Amino acid sequence: MQINSVICANALTVRVDDRTLLDNLNFSVGKGEVFALLGGNGAGKSTTLKTFLGLMKASSGSATVLGHNATTYPNDVQKSVAYLPESVTLYGHLSGLENIRYFLSVAGVAKSDDDIFAALRKVALQEDSWHKALSNYSKGMRQKTAIALALLRNAPVLFLDEPTSGLDPAAIDEFNALVSELAANGATIFMVTHDVYGACQVAHRIVLLSNGILTGSFERIGDAPIDTEAVHAAFAGRKA
Amino acid sequence: MIFSVVKTICADQWRYWLRTKVAATVLLLGAILTLAALVVNAFHIEEAAHARDHFQTEAEERFKAQPDKHPHRMVHYGHYVFRAPTPLSVIEPGVDTYTGNAIFLEGHRQNSAMFAEQRQSAGLTRFSSLTPSFLALVLAPLFIILIGYGSVSREREAGTLTLLLSQGTTRWQLMLGKLLALITASGLFLLPLLLACFYVAFSSESVLVVLLFSLSYAVYFLLWAAVVTACSALFEKSSVSFTMLIVIWMAACVLLPRIGSSVATNAAPSIGKLEADFKVVEKLRSLGDGHDVNDPAFKKLKENLLAKYDVDSVDDLPVNFRGVVAQYSEGRQAKVLNEFAENRMGEELEQAHIARQFGWLSPTVSVRAISTILAGTSLETHHRFLREAEALRLEFVQGLNKVHVEKLDYKLDMNRNASEEAAEKAVVDADNWALLSEFDFKPEAANTRISNALIYFLQLFVWVCITTLLLKAAVRRLNP
Repeated sequence: MQINSVICANALTVRVDDRTLLDNLNFSVGKGEVFALLGGNGAGKSTTLKTFLGLMKASSGSATVLGHNATTYPNDVQKSVAYLPESVTLYGHLSGLENIRYFLSVAGVAKSDDDIFAALRKVALQEDSWHKALSNYSKGMRQKTAIALALLRNAPVLFLDEPTSGLDPAAIDEFNALVSELAANGATIFMVTHDVYGACQVAHRIVLLSNGILTGSFERIGDAPIDTEAVHAAFAGRKA
Repeated sequence: MIFSVVKTICADQWRYWLRTKVAATVLLLGAILTLAALVVNAFHIEEAAHARDHFQTEAEERFKAQPDKHPHRMVHYGHYVFRAPTPLSVIEPGVDTYTGNAIFLEGHRQNSAMFAEQRQSAGLTRFSSLTPSFLALVLAPLFIILIGYGSVSREREAGTLTLLLSQGTTRWQLMLGKLLALITASGLFLLPLLLACFYVAFSSESVLVVLLFSLSYAVYFLLWAAVVTACSALFEKSSVSFTMLIVIWMAACVLLPRIGSSVATNAAPSIGKLEADFKVVEKLRSLGDGHDVNDPAFKKLKENLLAKYDVDSVDDLPVNFRGVVAQYSEGRQAKVLNEFAENRMGEELEQAHIARQFGWLSPTVSVRAISTILAGTSLETHHRFLREAEALRLEFVQGLNKVHVEKLDYKLDMNRNASEEAAEKAVVDADNWALLSEFDFKPEAANTRISNALIYFLQLFVWVCITTLLLKAAVRRLNP
């Protein structure tokens, strides 16, 4: 893992009307790092993610990705990242393959069918489902399709929103292995989750967020996963 | 790259419509309806044009084929004139559908269907006929709403908007893609109209008029597509955007045009037909009875005539005094009739102008005004038809009166009721009936029609600006 600041929150504050959703966040994520933002419902995880994706504006401070300010240059950020939404929301009227082709097309990424097939095989999506309408997919299959899309974007930065939510244990293990592989290949991964165990397994660093404020930080030491108990205690304690 | 993303989004929207049975049905139904209305109307107009030619020729032939007669009997025999439908009336029949296109011309009267039907039709008839213009102006926007109300809000509701925007797609690209899809879908309704316009452009109609006519409908469809896309983006839920769009449609296409007509009727009230007819009759009576040479109203005329020819009795005049009275009386009556007709037409025109001011509130009113004016089926053109028909009426009646004055002996004329034999002698030769001028009504020149429609093009331009601002606001507020 190299520590070059790929993602950076600098006194990041987001207000909507009179409500402060994020209050003076400061952190940075380095190249090849798996960074998990952990928090309960309404903690501000999705707001943080949307701000880094340029879908919400910072009221003060800054959110930068690969040196691009997400508030002032959202398109530069969006072009260089891949995003995996929480409830994988692809088009139900299209097949998995058509969804991938469509999103790659709007992202301006040219990929051959062979590349797409390889990505689908890599995420272990059964071949007989590729041409079926997405409305017939299980949540896990949708997740795999979205991951394949993210892989095909070849983006140096991946934003993942509750990536393992609703997946079965085997699928979670497959996913964690894939995330680790991507990070090992130099991708920077920013995930927001409330799954303490999953985050500890895969993340190099976990930061706790509560009511829009950062409340704690845990870092992996060596190859051992972050201590789940410690994170859980801090997470539960803060919530209590 | 920018346009390629717009095209991709547009193509996906089409794919969605084609894979959704409801949307595909709406598209197909709309296109079939427009095409059917156009074909039916074209046949109807074609038939009407043939009938008009047939009846016009027949009326002229029957008039000329009359035997030797008393010329005043020919004045009352009368003559029909018909107005040929304009080429663009295939699409926009305008006021023709309720004013009629035939007038019976006779002495002492101005017959017009307009006075009988104009007031009723303002509220009813326009809604009952399924003409191509009605389909394009009123029903097509409804179809556009039905297929487009969820085009953007569906993305938000399904959550695909976030993913789409996170791919680097700009809000403008997304909106333009959706708009392009809706414009091309609207094209299905517009295409039959444009094909008809293209066909018309090769007939006797001015190409510029046809182009502007097509342009007004194209802009109208564009406006609706933009409004539907903007509303779909502005409101978070599809159900809310659908409700809002239906409210807008009701206001723009149904209520405001009707409110415009009602406001116009109240702001510039006109008297009813019966009341107007009584006033005309009362005024005509004061002019004297043109059939009675001894009516005191013609005493002065008689004195002047006797003095002019320096004779003591009308029997000694070199002209038929009865014919002179008929000629004099017809001229004065025509002035009165024209005065009333002009007043009536002025009132109607004022009402039409007031109603058209509602084009500042509804683009449907603007395009309807442009459409009828350019098609030559507006109230102005109908009034022109009435004036030209009246000019012909007066010309042919006075022509017969001239024959009466010059070619029928006064004594024979006065003695015509004495016996059957006397009546047979009080006639003129049938050759005199060849005095009818050909009636070939043409709408105003292209330049005049275009210039009359300019103000309504300005209204349409204002609507384009308003819609552009609405679209910009929708793009600004487009958040996942």
